[in-house]
Amino acid sequence: MKIRFWGVRGSFAMSGRDFLRYGGNTSSVELLTDAGQRLLIDLGTGATELGKQLMAGEFGKGQGSVPILLSHTHLDHIQGLPFFTPFFIKGNEIRILGASPSSGMSLESTLQNQLAPHYSPLNGLENLAAGVSIETLTPGSTITLPGFEVRTVAVPHGSMWTTAFRVTADGKTVTYLSDVEYPNVDDPLAEAIDLARDADLLVHDAMHADHDYDLRRGWGHSPARAGVVVAERAGAKKLALFHHSPDATDDMIDEVVSRTAARTAVPVFAAAEGSYLDV
Amino acid sequence: MQITFWGVRGSYPVPGAATVRYGGQTSCVEARSTSGETVIVDAGTGMRALGNKLLREATAPQHHHVLLSHVHWDHIQGLPFFSPAYIQGTKISIYALLTAADELQQVIGGITRHEFFPMALEAVPAAFEYHEVEPGVDFEIGGFRVTPIALNHPFGSVGYRLDCDGSAWAYVSDTAPFDQVLHKQHFLKGPEPLSEDDRIALGAMREALVQRLVGVDTVVYDTHFTEDEYARFPHYGHSTPDQALEICAAAKVRRLVLYHHAPSHGDEQMDKIAAEYLAKGAGVGVEVLTSFEGMTLPIGPEAT
Repeated sequence: MKIRFWGVRGSFAMSGRDFLRYGGNTSSVELLTDAGQRLLIDLGTGATELGKQLMAGEFGKGQGSVPILLSHTHLDHIQGLPFFTPFFIKGNEIRILGASPSSGMSLESTLQNQLAPHYSPLNGLENLAAGVSIETLTPGSTITLPGFEVRTVAVPHGSMWTTAFRVTADGKTVTYLSDVEYPNVDDPLAEAIDLARDADLLVHDAMHADHDYDLRRGWGHSPARAGVVVAERAGAKKLALFHHSPDATDDMIDEVVSRTAARTAVPVFAAAEGSYLDV
Repeated sequence: MQITFWGVRGSYPVPGAATVRYGGQTSCVEARSTSGETVIVDAGTGMRALGNKLLREATAPQHHHVLLSHVHWDHIQGLPFFSPAYIQGTKISIYALLTAADELQQVIGGITRHEFFPMALEAVPAAFEYHEVEPGVDFEIGGFRVTPIALNHPFGSVGYRLDCDGSAWAYVSDTAPFDQVLHKQHFLKGPEPLSEDDRIALGAMREALVQRLVGVDTVVYDTHFTEDEYARFPHYGHSTPDQALEICAAAKVRRLVLYHHAPSHGDEQMDKIAAEYLAKGAGVGVEVLTSFEGMTLPIGPEAT
């Protein structure tokens, strides 16, 4: 299995010179099996470029199909949806899978609201030319997608819940734990640790540098050290710091990585927009 | 008066090496009078950096005025990231056209619904107030006289003429030209045949725009598309530099600023567009500049 990060930023897309090495796009991740089956996680602004790349293949001909997992519906995880070009080609089949937002509104109504006429000229999911199905996930369940098995669990994210994913394919496992803040960051929830058990790669929310976290406690995001504790206790083989703060320049992320690496034996890197990585 | 561009991009923010010089953030312009009063036009992602600057400058909580052309995401998604909103005592007045909804507060507040954003606008420390605008009905914000102008965009949008300090500039974005497509309150899969009434409505809209621009020094105009792109997507609600230049020449404005750049137009392409239209504008007596993030332009003849 391969992974490619198309957007690694949290909250807000950042352009400019200070954000070129890690990238300024918001959350979007692509997983690819050895046989070429594809699974996407989240549709932040990174999904716009991903969509363009997909158009070069079967999606450009209206013959593509892909499932997309949504961790939650905060804007930085869905703002690329109206600009993901495979949606505009008739014949493509796109499944969007996510839990109902904790407000009680359904996933479908939430996405319809994003595309409501005052906010978007698309004026509703029904105007997307591709076949689009919105499927509600029940966190805690395990689902099978072509080429992938995905275990899901709900984790706390400030005033709401997000869904974390344990994705297994080709005998390898990636755990995606983004937009999470544990009640005690130094003693993460057992469900999260269990989801990352022996994972080949743990992608973890690292929105805050450890020294910034105290000012932002309760905002729903983790300091870099929370991912370290999860990785160590779970026996994860590698840790990718993810969902970087919009205020974190490339140099600041470099520093977070070196400070984090110094405190653990688990290999650590900061997720960056770029090429396919072997899991 | 001067204006500063905080976001010049259309549709969505575009990080990366290709947008380093012109900028990747979406629509947001700050107008500042010589006495230091400010009006913000559009609340795209450029508004985040503007808010941080205003907060650094302020010695006390401020009253901010935000004119919205319309409420498509690329024109409003900076609002929840406007840091003065999180300061007690701040007042934020929003002026917008009411489209496809019953109530402005509901639409603007809706961008921070629980599903979309962790903090509701109604819950932030700043006090918000909402004013509905009507094309052609002008009003005052401090020393600024503001005139909303009807534009041609899906579900409606308005431009603004702002007069202050004896000169004027206008913000004309987002808009399609006024010949092929008339945008109404429904989704367009493609261009629809125009009725005679549609043609009359388009003609009247163009005429009213040109009239409002007469006497304006600088016009900031939606020039999202190249001519080729427009030919493919005439129903998307955006214009080209040629269409903007035609309107500006008709109104005899001094200066046109290209704005709302397509996400796919990287810095090198923008350089070519800038050079091409600087030359073309000179041919019809209009100075054509191309906006970039951080650009500040003095407005008025004394500024040249």
